[in-house]
This record gives sequence, C-alpha cells and structure tokens, in this order.
Amino acid sequence: MARLPAPGSVIVPDWHESTEGKEHLSSILRKNRRRVFGLLERPVLPPQVAADTASYKIFVSGKSGVGKTALVAKLAGLEVPVIHHETVGIQTTVVYWPAKLQASDRVVIFRFEFWDCGEAALKKFDHILPACKEKTDAFLFLFSFTDRSSFEDLPAQLSRVAGDVPNTVKMVIGSKFDQYMHTDVPERDLMAFRQAWELPLLRVKSVPGRRLADGRTLDGRAGLADVAHVLNGLGEHLWHQDQVAAGLVPGPQESSPDGGQG
Amino acid sequence: MAEESAAGAVHLLCLAASSGVPLFSRSSRGGAPSRQQLPFSIIGSLNGVHMFGQNLDVTLRSARTEDSAVVWKTFHDSITLIVLSSELGCAELRLERLLELVFGAMVLLVGLEELTKIRNVERLKKDLRATYGLIDSLLVDTELAGDLTQCVDCIIPTHGPLLQEALAGFAEEMGSVFASLVAGGRVVVGTEGWWRLGAPEAVLLPWLVGTLPFQAARDYPVYLPHGSPMVPHRLLTLTLLPGLELCVLCGPQPPLSQVEPQVLERWWQPLLEPLRACLALTPRGIPAGFPLHPDILGLLLLHLEQRRGLFTVDLGGEEGPSPSARRRLLRSFYVLVTATHFPPEEKAEEPGCPTGVPRACYVVCGAAAEGPQGRQDPGAGLRLVAVQAGPRRLLLLVSARSPTYALRGLATRTLHALTPLL
Repeated sequence: MARLPAPGSVIVPDWHESTEGKEHLSSILRKNRRRVFGLLERPVLPPQVAADTASYKIFVSGKSGVGKTALVAKLAGLEVPVIHHETVGIQTTVVYWPAKLQASDRVVIFRFEFWDCGEAALKKFDHILPACKEKTDAFLFLFSFTDRSSFEDLPAQLSRVAGDVPNTVKMVIGSKFDQYMHTDVPERDLMAFRQAWELPLLRVKSVPGRRLADGRTLDGRAGLADVAHVLNGLGEHLWHQDQVAAGLVPGPQESSPDGGQG
Repeated sequence: MAEESAAGAVHLLCLAASSGVPLFSRSSRGGAPSRQQLPFSIIGSLNGVHMFGQNLDVTLRSARTEDSAVVWKTFHDSITLIVLSSELGCAELRLERLLELVFGAMVLLVGLEELTKIRNVERLKKDLRATYGLIDSLLVDTELAGDLTQCVDCIIPTHGPLLQEALAGFAEEMGSVFASLVAGGRVVVGTEGWWRLGAPEAVLLPWLVGTLPFQAARDYPVYLPHGSPMVPHRLLTLTLLPGLELCVLCGPQPPLSQVEPQVLERWWQPLLEPLRACLALTPRGIPAGFPLHPDILGLLLLHLEQRRGLFTVDLGGEEGPSPSARRRLLRSFYVLVTATHFPPEEKAEEPGCPTGVPRACYVVCGAAAEGPQGRQDPGAGLRLVAVQAGPRRLLLLVSARSPTYALRGLATRTLHALTPLL
C-alpha cells in the first residue's frame, strides 16, 4: 500500500479560487456553464498558459442506489437524473480539471475518465467488470450515509473489485452527507474503517446544484466549487502514484516514518 | 390552432396480461412529459373491458369517444399495452404504431424473455424503469417522424462519401458490420450492415441514442426486437462531438476499453470539419444551400424501400406557424394520406399496384376550425400536398400564398430535386 500523500501536499488546494486558477477554469466553462467535451475535443488554453494533460481512468464502484451516476454527473457538471434507475451497461464520463502542482509550480490539466456501471448489469454480463478494470488507474468506492449496508459492503467490494490490483489508487466516498440527520454511518465507524484500511475518505453532499439566473441551467462555477475537493483529492493521489511508479518520490517500502498522513 | 391541439393528453398503461398487475404508466400533456396519472379505477376498467372481450374470444382493438381514442394491444399473451389519447387528430394508426414501438422499446432494453416469462413482477417493474426515458420521448413532441412513419430519420450530410468511407474503415477495425453516426436521433451515415437492421430496431436504436443523457461513451446491452430478442448485443456509443455519436453494434468483442482515444483520433480527427458540419445540419437536415421553393414550410420525404426518411420544418420562413405546429400538421397529414389515400407502406412495393391508387393529393387547412377564440389562426389556408413516385413519398407543408393549382407541380419538382439525396 503506497503511503498516502497528505491533503494539499501535491496540489495547491484553493488554487482554483485564485486569479490564475480562474483563468484556467475558463477553459472548461462557457458562459458560466460547464463545457461538455466530445472525445475529439479538449480544453483550449491561450498559448502562454498552455499546460500538459494527464489522463486517468477511474472505475466507480458501489452498491446499487448509492449514487454513482449522480456523483459522476455532479463532477461533470451535468444534470443529475431525477428518476432513479439502474445504469444500463457501462457509461463513461470525461471531466477535465486544471490544477497546480505544489512541487514544481506547474499547471496540469487532469483528464479523468469515470467508468460507471449498474450493479445488475455487472452481475448479468460477464464482459463489464473486466472492461471497467482493464488499465484502470483508480477505484472510487462509494457508500451512502443513508444506507448502512452500502458501508458494510465496502470491505467485500474492495476485495472483490480491487483485490487483485494492489498498486492502484483507491478512494472511498460517502454520498448523501447532507442527510446527516438520517445517517446510518456514525463517525466512530468511519474512524475505525479509516484506521483499518488506510484509504483516503471524502464526503459529498447530494444537494441539487445552484442554477444560473434563468433558473434552469446549472451554474458551472458554483458546481466546480462544490466538487473541487473531490477532483483535487483524486488528482493528488493519482499524480502521487505516478511519481512513485516513476521512482521520483519514495514509495511504500522506502518511505520515511515522518512523511505520513496529515 | 396547433398550440391548443397540444393541450390534449396521452396516457400509456402497461399491465401484465395474465394478472392485470400494472407494470408502469407514462403520460404526457401538451406535448411534454406529465406526472398526472389516470385513477386506478379507470386503469382497471380499461383493462377489464379488454379482458372481458378476450374471454369471449373477441379482441377489442380500439374505441373512440368524442374527444379521445383508446387502443389496446396484447403482446405475446404476456404484456398488455393501452394508450388513451385526447390529442387533437389522434388517429388509431398513430396509436397502434406507438404501441408497437413502445413494446419494441421494452424488448430493446429488457429482453423478450423477461417480458414473456414473468417470474418476479417487482423485479420486472424495476428493470422497466430503464425504458422510461425512451418511452416518454415517444409520447411527447418530437423533431423526428420515425415513430409514425417506421422509417429511420436521416440527415443528409454535405460530405457523405468522406464520412461513409471513414465509418466503414472504423467499423472494420472494430470487427463489426453495424456502425453509424447519429446526430440528435437522426442517422447521418450508416454502414451497409446498419441499413439492413430490421424494424423496429432500425428506428429505435438512433432514437434511444438521441434520448440518453450526455456521456462520453457507453457500452449498452440491447436486445434487437426483430433480429435478436433473446440474446443481447452491445451497442457502443462514442461521443465524437457533443450531439454527434458514433454507434457500433457488436457481440462480445471488442471491449469498450479497447476503443481508445488514439483509435478514434486516427479515424476521425482528420474529419473534424465535416463532422462539425453535420451538427450544423440539425434540425434542418439538408445542406443550407439546397434550393427549395421559399413557399415550402416543411417537408417529409420517405423512401419506402430503404425505410429512410427526411423530416424537416426548419427551412426558413419566419411567418406561419411555429416549428412544432408545422411538425404536427405534417404528421397528421401523413396519418391521413397513409390511412385513407395511399396504400400502407408495407404493400407499396408489391408488384402490380392497382392503377387506381392516387399518386397525389392535397388539403387546405380550414380557418379557425381549430383556432383559438378571437386570435388570428396562423395555420389557416396552409396547404398540405403529397405525391408518390416509385418508392418515394413526399409530403409538403406549403404557405397559404401558394396557389392550389401549382401545388402538384411544386411537389413533383421538389421530389425530383430531392431524389438524389434519399
């Protein structure tokens, strides 16, 4: 298990709020809405601020109904489906996210490709899990704060889905955190889980995104501010993993005892 | 006129035929999805009267009241669909085709086996939720006509041969013979194999792609209602540009993970401009420079052998009715000519068509008959004309200022001009 980078140690945390950050964000926004990109397109930055792109494939896993599709839609700035139904087959979503690296002061555009599939499809069709796992760089494990069984299912998910790929980034995300009044997962259980698994754990709210003045379209900037911590967290662990793999920073074996979690 | 003709509602009910258990119900009002549902007692009665007939070996097909029509249909002795429509001009032909297509949509996403051997009703209900988006799109106002004409809605691209060549090459590399480019639910180009797809999947697949929320790529299991209702295939969709999707129908191979951005870029990056040009063609459907008479407000061209269609009302001309009203006029005219004047499409190509079959007809919209009280009816005096020549049928919506004696000439000339396109 690679030692986790401390939050904020790889990526400048609130850089997207700075003037420079806002300038870069404009490449993924259009008239305050999130831009959607086809597979032949990418964000275009002015030549003087051009940045490299780092592409990663991320498989989103979790029990049926925890909000995998909704989370991915939120990260991409798309409408969250109103009626819930199980995702049919696999769907992938590309999210571009510019971020500034602490070490080199460089800006990198992360290209996250989220792979989302329905639990029923996963069970019914054999080809889906291998396709989702093939060359994946990270696993996002989702549980819902309002569904205890989805939390208790995590260890099984972790071994079933990612058991055979030890050196891949794994993150746990608790969804529907806004409904803490009804939470089925108390803080002490989370602490115990974190200690046992040493995995990064994030919480997201499942509240509807803010709308623009027309009352209909989603406000792209506000939406990005809501999910910046997730995108930065992902970028941080993925970038760190690449650095370890390239031998640029100490990996699990040679890591110094004081370089631990923050 | 058309604005309030849309105020009618359409209710679609789906029940398990043997038990009468409602599986789902979907509604639309005024051309938009509606949450309003029929009371349970009405659902029960509608199903009851149909079952009553069945017990006496009588099949109740349709019924009509002053302002609404009901059509029943049972599929494979397992699923009963009932549609109740109070939309103006709702015709049995339209409703019957709607039910066929709705059942096709259910097979497409759930598979025939699950629909004919219902083991767990609750499970089936849950699985059918995945079809709501597609089914709702069949109930509401649409820019397409394939639901009615049973022909695939097409766009005529400016750089057809270039795109066709790239598509064929790409499909070959993917190891599939079924591939197409789809923009807004309309097929831009398709491989030969794609055009051999039977009904209703030929209409449903692009329609489905047009209704799904935005995704970069999908690996979607689909059961082909005609070609393979029991064994699922995989529909891979790849969003080249927002609104323009590359669709490949395949078996177990290749996995979606194999369709890497590099492969897409190799085939499609050189064609970026032609691809963008396709997007600019929606919803017009035909290249901007194509010469059409300025009096033509909308057209529906069908190739009945190839089962392809071109349906457009965005031909310029700010005056006259709104695009949705134009579409509704053309759709109801299509129903009229198909149900009463021209032979149904299936028989159109039969040899020795009787000579008495009309080759052209027209109607002039009446004033204020359907118009709102006191307001001027923008639809009054509009002309609708249809001609048929060989496998092609053309319906035109023509401005009121066009003289009726010239309609047939106009339609024939337009059909002649459009012939190379479809």
